[in-house]
Amino acid sequence: MTDQGFEDLLRRLAPEVLGVLVRRYGHFDLAEDAVQEALLAASRQWRADGMPDSPRGWLITVASRRLVDLLRSEQARREREEWVAQATPTEQRSSSSAAEGVGGSDDTLVLLFMCCHPALSPASQIALTLRAVAGLTTAEIARGFLVSEATMTRRITRAKQTVTASRLPFGLPSPAERPERLAAVLHALYLIFNEGYAATTGPQLHRVELSAEAIRLSRMLHRLLPDDPEAAGLLALMLLTDARRPARTRPDGALVPMAEQDRRRWDARMIAEGVALIRQTMSRGDVGPYQLQAAIAALHDQATDYANTDWPQILALYELLLGDGENPVVALNHAVALAMVRGPRAGLEQLAPLTSDTRVADDYRLYAVRGHLLEMAGELSNARESYLTAAGHTTSLQQKRYLHAQAARLSSE
Amino acid sequence: MKFMISTYGSQQDYDELAGRPGERPAWSRDDFVAMATFMQALNSELEASGELVETRGLSAPVHTRRISQRDGVPVVTDGPYAEAQEVLAGYWVVECESIDRATDIAARLSSCPAPEQVRARAYADVRPIDEHLPGA
Repeated sequence: MTDQGFEDLLRRLAPEVLGVLVRRYGHFDLAEDAVQEALLAASRQWRADGMPDSPRGWLITVASRRLVDLLRSEQARREREEWVAQATPTEQRSSSSAAEGVGGSDDTLVLLFMCCHPALSPASQIALTLRAVAGLTTAEIARGFLVSEATMTRRITRAKQTVTASRLPFGLPSPAERPERLAAVLHALYLIFNEGYAATTGPQLHRVELSAEAIRLSRMLHRLLPDDPEAAGLLALMLLTDARRPARTRPDGALVPMAEQDRRRWDARMIAEGVALIRQTMSRGDVGPYQLQAAIAALHDQATDYANTDWPQILALYELLLGDGENPVVALNHAVALAMVRGPRAGLEQLAPLTSDTRVADDYRLYAVRGHLLEMAGELSNARESYLTAAGHTTSLQQKRYLHAQAARLSSE
Repeated sequence: MKFMISTYGSQQDYDELAGRPGERPAWSRDDFVAMATFMQALNSELEASGELVETRGLSAPVHTRRISQRDGVPVVTDGPYAEAQEVLAGYWVVECESIDRATDIAARLSSCPAPEQVRARAYADVRPIDEHLPGA
């Protein structure tokens, strides 16, 4: 088996093995450490001695042994520290018959819900999900987020302790809690994707492909919950957005706006998959924000160029998104769509109230969009000013260079 | 031993780098690409040799907030630097056997492509990191 094959197999099995351990023994935090160690042992030993007959069984045995060791030393430590009174044997949880019923892929789903527990901050949810469900090492996650390994270790350890301390039973959330808990899972995956997508600029020192991880996890979630329209919508949104990645930056890392992207470089296979998925999903009704965003991305991806995009349809979708809850970034995109359908004045009128919205009043995107719409309206001098204001509001050198070039283009015309 | 290699620039330097039209000519696209390519190659090499601990570039000085105190109360000042004042622009933390090796690495920066007037003024500092500070 190739190295890549080994890695893929191990990372697919990681959440299943962790699920079995937590179900049997409780102690989410120690079980997670034990699984990581078993994965490391497997990657060394299997390469040298060949694959065991049952890789999953091998991992469960090795991880269980390691967990028992960890529990013993943990217990010894607690006794030394005279914490005996607190040492409730959580192993008893394993006797609960309800918890023994299912396994495998359901465990993966339970783990996702645990890692995205509402008691954790989004940053902790993401880190824990990447480690416990995606099977990445702490060092890889640290590199992905450009923080030190020590910092990431502490973040993950604290997150695991919070999950353990919550004494959450190892099972799926109740039907009453489910919508909110699933929303947290979807949001965490969305954040992982965005982190990876935004990171395509800047120095890249072998960063883990966070967007590829997010797509892998969303695929898994969609497989586990094939009937959930928002899980499908999120996967479609990621595919349809990531499809544009090859055209999104120049070789030097400079950003290329969608209007100027070479559409032949978009990934046709990802687009086809995303479009099919979002069509099929939306035809069932029950449309939520991820599906709406995916539908908008699909319309962009299918257009031959920027001007020939189905802007009226995009505008209608943005109006639905706006009705779904107030979000200034959605409002910005809505203004662009409005300008493309009803002219730049209509778009500029939509932007006006945003300048006093504290959530975007300092955001360079507001002034970049304003510059674009002013330019469409023929107010070149004001457009130029707006591009310069935008450049002053971003801290990114690449974005400053792009916006200064926009301003310079107008002063020479 | 760990060393910090630091580079410096003023708000004016940053404006030129960002292509903001000003008195001095700004970096062209080719200048910028050449610089970015050089830095990527240097960083990859330092990572491959195991010497790179981390490297970061800072955004323009104008985005700085300075926190001082007056009568025991924290006071925040936006953009405390003068236009021409040179301040920290970026740094590398490297781990290598001696300050001479760290100096060699820093010297490599002098061949970073840049417009002539920028190269003429550019410099880098190398300082040993104190790994035994209380609290470190």
